[in-house]
Amino acid sequence: MTNLEKYQQAFKETFMVDDDKLANLKYQDIPEWDSVGHMALMASIEEAFNISLEIDDVIDFSSYEYGKSMLSKYNIDI
Amino acid sequence: MSDNTVDQGFSLNCIELQNYQQNRYPFLLVDHVDLVIPGKMAIGYKNMTMNEWWIPVHFPGAPNMPGALQIEALAQMLTISVTTIPGLEGRFTRALDYKAKFRKEVMPGHRFDMRVELLSWTRGLAKGIGVGSIDGEIACETEMLITIPEILDQYVPKK
Repeated sequence: MTNLEKYQQAFKETFMVDDDKLANLKYQDIPEWDSVGHMALMASIEEAFNISLEIDDVIDFSSYEYGKSMLSKYNIDI
Repeated sequence: MSDNTVDQGFSLNCIELQNYQQNRYPFLLVDHVDLVIPGKMAIGYKNMTMNEWWIPVHFPGAPNMPGALQIEALAQMLTISVTTIPGLEGRFTRALDYKAKFRKEVMPGHRFDMRVELLSWTRGLAKGIGVGSIDGEIACETEMLITIPEILDQYVPKK
């Protein structure tokens, strides 16, 4: 599985969304991405990539697109 | 409290536990904590009597502890396993998700023994499991997700 596929799977499994919903997805755009869903997504991404996100990154992770670029800080290229 | 005590666990009587559980009569559903290991688990109980506030109505002539309150009691015990972590004393919690099974009636005269295990405590979310028993027989089993909102709110994106 590529990094992109792993990243997308984290979103799809956490929020039960289809691929076509991912590109513009932001925090609180859907009911599932509430505060609890956000923590579930963070845990899913940490597990998928075997990383531990810093608190500032958890707070700043407000969209699908932002997350992709942010993960480069953890040497994960998507 | 020494670090050794926190690691090995300690008990809480009916007064002490109120430092860690903010519910009060008639909604405090834990009488005693036999052992709490902060961040890990808690064991304790509630004695059931004919004087509980729900007895006259649940049900007349057939008193028993409502399932919802069995879950609430286990959630209160789970809260104690979290709020005994140093720095969290006195915090308020909020319920998020429960899944439960009920196997045996809990009636006046019973002692509702509770054992909870805190599976994870991360970013303000506490995930745990709880078992309520009567005389060693399981009465209720539940999976629980609760939160300390003021901690959870520190980690969410700011709009």
